[in-house]
Amino acid sequence: MTDFEIISPATIKELFIVIKKCGKDNFRFGAGYTDLLNELRKKTEPELKIINLAQVKDSQFTGIKTGIRGLWIGAMTTIQQLVSNQIINREFPVLHQSASSLASTQVRNVATIGGNICTASPSGDVSCALVSLNASCEILRVDGRTRMISIQDFFLGPRKTLLNRDEVLYRIFIPQNKPTSVSVHSGFIKVGTRQSMECSVVSLAFHIQSDKKSKIIKAGLAIGAASPTIRFTESACNFLIDKTLKNISESIKDEFAENVVVYASPISDLRASAWYRKEVLYNISKSVLEVNPS
Amino acid sequence: MMKGNRNRKEKQLVRISFSLNGQKVEAEIKSSTILLDLIRDVFSLKGTKGACREGECGSCTVLLNDVPVNSCLFPAINANGKNITTIEGLTKSDGSLDEVQEAIVQNGASQCGFCTSGVALAIKGLKYHYKKLNNSKKINAVLTPNRKDIKKWLEGNLCRCTGYVKIIDAAEKALINE
Repeated sequence: MTDFEIISPATIKELFIVIKKCGKDNFRFGAGYTDLLNELRKKTEPELKIINLAQVKDSQFTGIKTGIRGLWIGAMTTIQQLVSNQIINREFPVLHQSASSLASTQVRNVATIGGNICTASPSGDVSCALVSLNASCEILRVDGRTRMISIQDFFLGPRKTLLNRDEVLYRIFIPQNKPTSVSVHSGFIKVGTRQSMECSVVSLAFHIQSDKKSKIIKAGLAIGAASPTIRFTESACNFLIDKTLKNISESIKDEFAENVVVYASPISDLRASAWYRKEVLYNISKSVLEVNPS
Repeated sequence: MMKGNRNRKEKQLVRISFSLNGQKVEAEIKSSTILLDLIRDVFSLKGTKGACREGECGSCTVLLNDVPVNSCLFPAINANGKNITTIEGLTKSDGSLDEVQEAIVQNGASQCGFCTSGVALAIKGLKYHYKKLNNSKKINAVLTPNRKDIKKWLEGNLCRCTGYVKIIDAAEKALINE
């Protein structure tokens, strides 16, 4: 068990001062604490400081706002806020589903979207959905400068992000669906050994937009728990463009699934073997294209 | 507060104040104090249970501003200014049971009892959740959770005795009695 000291800045300005003051000291950020406290209980770190983000008052940091080009979600927005948001539910079902499949009610009420991203778990549910949606991360530096990074580039490896020591994840941006898109086929498939409180064996997030002629105009697909980071399956997405969702042959489905599996380099661990993960991924990829004609 | 070099290793204490079961309370705590320990060890409210201490079992559930959270994964410092309700606060001031507790008793939804305080608070939280939904809604139809919604809501509460059926029966009963 690591003993630690929590420092609670109340504004973004104070937060910058605290980060600067910590300098080279060993520090971590605390957001919802549902992951952090579990991690700290299992190891001993000397002289750890935790910079508490939970008391920072800043409406952009803690809430969801609609912009002209898309949705801005503050890093401290809770998973439950995502679940309850009507715009997300309507426009981005993949994000709604991934958020409501995360852990349990008690955890969703405190866990944050920023925490899910910055933990950089290869099986992060919400992160996987965000990759499929081509989201970007707005990063704030202590000198007040900001930079935007595509969420795919944000993840460097398991539990590693490109966030520097003097930076904090501020907001997440999700681009609006295309103006010509009239229907979205969007969802989150999570395969695990039980339904609740489960870490995925493999997961797949998809967000496919079609125009009024039912032609696919944009597709986003991401896979989780199948490689060291969440992967955007670009060639599989490109493969779908101009196809009609309700009219896809078995051989095209196979070709599509092969395009997805190329991105997987899973490991064998206590939850599943690498072989099993690939097989499951292949099959759930195909199932994405099983759409009942309506 | 600091008394020279001898105490340098002593962590500074932080003062927090919050509402605990409707009463304003204050505490001086180490910043690393966990809410569950504060409730049990400082305020001696032993109804809140600690079991897995990693957010899996839900026996430590309390309501934070009417929303269920795992108190074992919650730094007490972040309870500052908030309203915390524990199982002791659910019981009415005259000692009679809350409708959720009553429904649990009536339906035999408690056996060994270890998970029960967490379950009761989670169900109470579901009641508040639907109250809020119905108040914020524009249409007039009253939303009530079905068994599936109840199961989903209670997924963070483990019970090793009842097999859950009676717990869900109790929740259904408590929620319909609005």
